[in-house]
Amino acid sequence: MQHHPLASKVRDDFPILKREINDFPLAYLDNAATTQKPNCVIDSLLDFYSTHNSNVSRGVYTLAEEATEIYEEGRESIAKFIGATDSGNIIFTRGTTESINLVASAWAQHNLKTGDRIIVTEMEHHSNLVPWQMAAQASGAELVYWPITPEAGSTSVGLLELEELEELLTDSVKLLAVTAVSNVLGTVNPIAKIVEMAHERGIPVLVDAAQAVARMPIDVSGLDCDFLAFSGHKVYGPTGIGVLYAKKERLDEMQPFQGGGGMIRQVGRQSSTWADSPQKFEAGTPPVAEVSGLAAALEYVSDVGISEIQKHEKELTAHALNRFAEFSDLELYGPQDTCDRTGVLSFNLRNVHPHDVAQVLDESGIAVRAGHHCTQILHERLGVAASVRMSFGIYNEVSEIDRLFSSLDRARDIFLD
Amino acid sequence: MSTNSIYRDLLLDHARHPKYSGCLEHPDLKASAFNPLCGDELELTLALSGETIHDCRTQVRGCSICIASASMMSEFILERTLSEVLQISKEFSKSLRKDTEDIPETIESLRPLIDLKPHRSRIKCMRLAWDALEDCAAQHQT
Ligand SMILES: Cc1ncc(COP(=O)(O)O)c(C=O)c1O
Repeated sequence: MQHHPLASKVRDDFPILKREINDFPLAYLDNAATTQKPNCVIDSLLDFYSTHNSNVSRGVYTLAEEATEIYEEGRESIAKFIGATDSGNIIFTRGTTESINLVASAWAQHNLKTGDRIIVTEMEHHSNLVPWQMAAQASGAELVYWPITPEAGSTSVGLLELEELEELLTDSVKLLAVTAVSNVLGTVNPIAKIVEMAHERGIPVLVDAAQAVARMPIDVSGLDCDFLAFSGHKVYGPTGIGVLYAKKERLDEMQPFQGGGGMIRQVGRQSSTWADSPQKFEAGTPPVAEVSGLAAALEYVSDVGISEIQKHEKELTAHALNRFAEFSDLELYGPQDTCDRTGVLSFNLRNVHPHDVAQVLDESGIAVRAGHHCTQILHERLGVAASVRMSFGIYNEVSEIDRLFSSLDRARDIFLD
Repeated sequence: MSTNSIYRDLLLDHARHPKYSGCLEHPDLKASAFNPLCGDELELTLALSGETIHDCRTQVRGCSICIASASMMSEFILERTLSEVLQISKEFSKSLRKDTEDIPETIESLRPLIDLKPHRSRIKCMRLAWDALEDCAAQHQT
């Protein structure tokens, strides 16, 4: 057994990891889909509902003040976590998907016209594609794809090349939407450089940080991105809570997203006026318990230490890459080097369908995902309908990766004769 | 080794050596089915004589469960009428519901599939061929 100081330190914080699945200890390797929750997050939800529950901003009584404080303090701590100087730039949503839809409808649709272009990449998750298709169709704009590098099997596969971007950045481009980390290839994109290039031409950039937030430091001020979106549930927090960071200049250009309570200043019979940001974009009763859970999760991640997390993930990824190299019937997609990627690894076992691989792994207690992982454009580009994906979290151990590779033998036994 | 596996011999036989795989060149009816969750695709082609299915083929890009189900369905529907197989398809659907316990005699031969129903994520895989079949039947009615 190798030593994994981080995993052994944190595993006890996650009660679900004690579960057995099909008589095997759970090896949870689907962290790109959602992460497990530490006790401090579960406790914060419990504590909110057992001691502070009430609606925010609409009462003068003690509980309502407590709930409001929890909600707004949550906003402060989340702003701090991603390096935003002002919590007024933080809008709460249901997740990455809703954050991106918010930008697409509250900003893009009002700022795009026929002939304008939106640059997206071939590796985007459907939630960073479909909202732009909808905004484009509504405004007469068009989507332009920044392709990924093609050479299958070469060490540079699945990267975005800045020279390609240079060509795409024309005057008609009004937005660039790009993921910081691919949820299939694991590729880490050079976001700072991308933002810089786009900004030289005055083009705003939206960063999908859904996969990045639990894997690397995020600093919106340093990046200078215009929008950044992520989900609480992928960073050890609860489901149902997401974040949209928007720069002041962009916030000023945005119309409301949904109408309702909390987002208004004055309501007249025929029309109304809007509250200031961020309330302007948060209609209805907000997810207070979830915000408190997310704040607890981010505090937990900070305590563990992002640099520790990166080190641990690099170790696991390096080990997995070495194991992949042992098998000629495994095709791994994405960069083959830990410099360009994180611990999200998608692959196929030759002549066995990903569903069948995932099912056999589950029979040994190993949780991985099979499918197109909401990236049909990317899978088309890779020339496969689906893949198997393993993705690491802070509690994963090298031994779990080894279990996966051993269990692949069972899949070979069952399906290949 | 695979004693607790869902992949039993009969299913694997069908998955490895699917019956009636491919496409009919001049089908009377044709339908595709798609699983948006995983991108799997299937095309069913049928040749009729009157109301009776006298030949069929399935072209599947899918997992072993999907292929096995298509293969078993093909064996099952040959020389039966469209309305008969539509009825069977409905019974099969019903038998895949969580709360259904009794399996009608008529679909006893589909039991290896029905036994997989605790794996709810695989229901769509099993149903793909049957969805295409229902689509064919619906086309024929209109
Ligand atoms: C890169 C990326 N973007 C967006 C999303 C969507 O996140 P959510 O479903 O939490 O809104 C995901 C989640 O799968 C993702 O991996």
